[in-house]
Amino acid sequence: MNLARWFLVALSLCVSACTAVAPYQRGYLARDDMALDSNPGHAKAIEKTFAAKEAASGGASVGGGGCGCN
Amino acid sequence: MRAALALPILVLPAKASAAEVGEVGITLLGYKERGLMKVTEPVLWARAQFLDAWEVQASVAVDIITGASAQLVTNASGAPVQSLSGASINDRRNTGDIKVTRRFGEFSVSASRALSKEEDYHSKSFGIEARLDLNQRNTTLVAGYGASNDRVLSSDDARLNERRDTREYLFGVTQILSPTSLVQSTLSTSRGRGWYNDPYKLTFTFYPDGLPILMADRRPDHRDSVAWLTRYRRHFPDANGTLQADYRYYRDDWGIRAHTLEVAWHHALSERWAVRPALRYYTQDAADFYSPTVPRPQPAVLSSDQRLGAWGGLSPSLRVVARLDGAVTVEGTVGYVHNARNFHLGGSSSPAFETLRAVYGILGVSRAF
Repeated sequence: MNLARWFLVALSLCVSACTAVAPYQRGYLARDDMALDSNPGHAKAIEKTFAAKEAASGGASVGGGGCGCN
Repeated sequence: MRAALALPILVLPAKASAAEVGEVGITLLGYKERGLMKVTEPVLWARAQFLDAWEVQASVAVDIITGASAQLVTNASGAPVQSLSGASINDRRNTGDIKVTRRFGEFSVSASRALSKEEDYHSKSFGIEARLDLNQRNTTLVAGYGASNDRVLSSDDARLNERRDTREYLFGVTQILSPTSLVQSTLSTSRGRGWYNDPYKLTFTFYPDGLPILMADRRPDHRDSVAWLTRYRRHFPDANGTLQADYRYYRDDWGIRAHTLEVAWHHALSERWAVRPALRYYTQDAADFYSPTVPRPQPAVLSSDQRLGAWGGLSPSLRVVARLDGAVTVEGTVGYVHNARNFHLGGSSSPAFETLRAVYGILGVSRAF
């Protein structure tokens, strides 16, 4: 599958291009605004706002279930 | 609804002081479309870490949906247009989920369960995820499997009770790029089988000659999709801000290709206050069987649901975050949704797509304990 191949290429580039960051250097990475998700309440509300109107969904997790969204 | 997951595990050790106990919060969503639906959704959520190895996250929510929904697409007056449902819709959806994570050194495994119930749709799902930290926790690999068993019902047709089953697989990596930046990329596939027809959608088409045709929404009985989501975060210490960029490519075997890009700037004004302006862009191609009119001869599958058409959307938003005394955080977001055919990227958009304008507000209060 082409998409999977591109994903693996991007993944390899990403991992190989990086230098290790020591734990004591991760202060900025631990900031709340560096988190990949908003807090669960905000994330669910935003997801709900767009998923009910768009044909595309998913990508961040599995096993989240569905809704009728008519 | 697919719930977003928690923080990347590789960041957790540095957050231990804040997360070793937990956090509880309540969020209220208000969403209103011009002339159509209105949604109110309170969400109660909590997450906690304990015994150094366990993490639990759970939420419950209620969706209260009122207003009118587009039910019929007809060309009775010339060009095809949407016609709204006569009676006002009054629907309520109760949903809840829980996720438990157990860490074993550099390896962790999570199990999740989600339930959702509304008058005309029931959903039960579970998920399993495994994570492995590598390279002194600079890299985290994740693999996941999820399954959802849904029931499609109809408040207009008591006989309708059909299955929709979905299996999902996810692979991803989170990588620290530098002391101020990280990226996560996940590829997920979904394989769905069952009833995808919308029991409330109809297409009523008149022809210059012959009788008109009224056709119910008929979609394929399968849907296989792939979503590739990449998220990037970079903090700029001198500017007191963080760039947050998310991009998702989606495609499925209905012929839909979609791109979603969101860029946000989280700016810390002080220790207490922060603002986060964001702009989200979305564009999708039409499903192969989307049509606002019924062609002759009548096809086996056809839907005039404009959510399956070719269109695009822009959505600016602004979030304000206030950290109050006593570990209380208040977050408020206001946003505007503008979906229109001329926002579609490349190719031709669907002429029958009717512009959607909506506003939403999200207010959340959380407290660490």
